[in-house]
Amino acid sequence: MFGKLKEKLGLGGDDGLAVGAPVEGQAVPLSEVSDPTFGQEILGKGAAIRPSKGRVVSPVDGTVETMFDTGHAVSLRAAAGTEILIHVGLDTVKLGGEHFTIHAKNGDQVKKGDLLMEFDIAGITGAGYDIITPVVICNTSDYADVSAVTGSPVAELDPLIRLKK
Amino acid sequence: MKRIEYTITDPLGIHARPAGLLVKAAQGFESKITIATDAKSADARRIMALMGLCVKGGQAITVTCEGPDEDAAAEGMESFLKANL
Repeated sequence: MFGKLKEKLGLGGDDGLAVGAPVEGQAVPLSEVSDPTFGQEILGKGAAIRPSKGRVVSPVDGTVETMFDTGHAVSLRAAAGTEILIHVGLDTVKLGGEHFTIHAKNGDQVKKGDLLMEFDIAGITGAGYDIITPVVICNTSDYADVSAVTGSPVAELDPLIRLKK
Repeated sequence: MKRIEYTITDPLGIHARPAGLLVKAAQGFESKITIATDAKSADARRIMALMGLCVKGGQAITVTCEGPDEDAAAEGMESFLKANL
């Protein structure tokens, strides 16, 4: 109990060494993502979430680097320099924005917990897409270690990825 | 220095997957490889920067390769683009 609380408190300090879950759901290893671009860590190391709620919040204090105009993915630069890509579903670029609602734009300064986008889980899965949501550290090579906290349900901002310089 | 002009044929443009594959292709060369649009340019090894170019289908890009293997890099990038974008 105490350890978990301490972890959360550690996350509260903005040391840039942990990234919380941007989406509520089940946290799983990136290797469970069937798209090799993510599963083979071509975009970087990280974790994935099977969403239970159609909301993406900023896991860090930082800047919105790229909000794709299709709303299916967003990249952020944390104040501490961490580069994070959140990609809702696989191949969802093809939806052309359908089932996604954008709540932030390029260059926006955001705080941890700020709403970035909403998505319709039933709509996306109903259209035949895998909803699994990879969360990837694009500058993985700037860290000695990037590890995922997976295997359990996560609420928004629960610990998801740990970074070691 | 070698330069290539290329017009993106994939209607979806440079989104996450092709950006990742492009970085992987660029990592195979020693030369510095830069992708530029009219508005911005990005190091081809930086995924965030590449996605940040927001390149759409039909848009023209310029690829610049500079370094000891720039000829091979330019050829490699050109065939990558033709095959993937």
